[in-house]
Amino acid sequence: MANTDGEWPSDAELLLRHVAGDSDAFGELFRRHRDRLWAVALRTVCDPEEAADALQDAMVSAFRRAADFRGDSAVTTWLHRIVVNASLDRLRRRAVRPAMSAGDEHALEALVVHDPDPARTADTKLDVDAALRILPPTQRAALVVVDMLGFSVADAAVILGTSPGTVKSRCARARARLLPHVEHLRGNRSASESVSPAQGGDV
Amino acid sequence: MSHPDSGVLAEFRAGIIDGRRGARISAHLATCEHCADLCDSLAEVSVLIGAVPVPVMPDQVVRRLDGVLAAEAARRDISERAGVHSSPGRVAGSSINGAASGSGTNPAGSGSGTNGAGSGRRWNFRLVAMRVLAPAAAAVLLGAGGYGLSQIGATSPTESTAASEPSAAASSVGHGAASSASRAGAIPEIEAPALQVVISSTDYRRTTLRQQLERQLRLPKGDAGPNEPATLSVKACVLRVTKGISPGTLLLVEEAYFQGQPATVIVAVSGHQQIAWVAGDGCSAAEKDLLAMTALSGTSAN
Repeated sequence: MANTDGEWPSDAELLLRHVAGDSDAFGELFRRHRDRLWAVALRTVCDPEEAADALQDAMVSAFRRAADFRGDSAVTTWLHRIVVNASLDRLRRRAVRPAMSAGDEHALEALVVHDPDPARTADTKLDVDAALRILPPTQRAALVVVDMLGFSVADAAVILGTSPGTVKSRCARARARLLPHVEHLRGNRSASESVSPAQGGDV
Repeated sequence: MSHPDSGVLAEFRAGIIDGRRGARISAHLATCEHCADLCDSLAEVSVLIGAVPVPVMPDQVVRRLDGVLAAEAARRDISERAGVHSSPGRVAGSSINGAASGSGTNPAGSGSGTNGAGSGRRWNFRLVAMRVLAPAAAAVLLGAGGYGLSQIGATSPTESTAASEPSAAASSVGHGAASSASRAGAIPEIEAPALQVVISSTDYRRTTLRQQLERQLRLPKGDAGPNEPATLSVKACVLRVTKGISPGTLLLVEEAYFQGQPATVIVAVSGHQQIAWVAGDGCSAAEKDLLAMTALSGTSAN
């Protein structure tokens, strides 16, 4: 179940060392998984500055509460769960007081410009990013965890703090909702035969 | 049957529709090219999303989080030695706390005296000790802070011989700033003057925060800008932000700018390094309004 592909020390070992007082262990654990954790935060909150804040909240929380980790899931699953929670929390707070999160535009610009993504399949990435924004946050989080990061439904359920059935249904609804918005992307090879998105009922 | 809509087909593909309804959809798909195509399209949505490369964390965020984690580690280090634990506080929302495998509260346990009995238990104990001590410790810090602006940096509080156990820490805190300070060997036994704030027009930038602060801390006292006694709101902010930091470790409180906005910059010694916080306009006793945080190399402490 551990997601570390034989890296040593294992994630669980690192967490244990951290709890025991090793001051480098948690940083190492974070370095190991930071890009994926960043991906979850960024794709869930859809804003680099907010994502950085959410990730910071999450990592501080994980750092301090590592002793509460019971080992009933992989360490990465646990870390992802904390990041997803922090991200959804940010979104909830932003929804409550949108005026206050005007944010720091300079930092935001810097963050956006800084995204080095050489393997960027430019249009696809941008369009999928844009399309993801139309989803409700919980559906978006589910889709990111399952389809983008490839977690199993069972692990995704732990990460999202819900049942596997709910994960499946959120993903299903999200895919259906995204379909009309990304169809042009897959159209390159099958545009001629692609059907118009169903509106339900008889066609 | 009528064509199921894409939502139903997506649910069918995800395996949440079975039984008779599932069988009906299955039979329909076998004969309806339109719906079969729709199913293929849905499958491709997943493929498309899976093909988006995982974004690389920007350098800036890497540096920021490395700094935050280093500061956390330093803070834990110092509070372990001092027997005072930093506050788990409100940095994270309650739902995040809930994520920690469902144990929102830390059972105090009765084994608080048995520090050697497993790290988990020791951890819980420290949290309990912290709740009692943190406000008092923070108050002491404010009292000593003004003097600390010019003097404290010379001695690292990690050299403290005091308070290797919480009861010792508690008693030193109980005796107030001077007694606590002399135990720590960092602050002479004098009446600590009021917390002084440096007023400056420095505009700290996120990208150069660390360098700017290190430069600022090297300036002789007075060159950094005029000093003024802290207002009540600044004191409240400093208390909130530095909660859990050991007494007598405040290096700098500066009213300046961050990314062009008014901000309060706070630097304290923690372990072998210094931690800097930048708090925004909204910083108060209740809210940190933290704009940035970084660990400095601590040139003056070591």
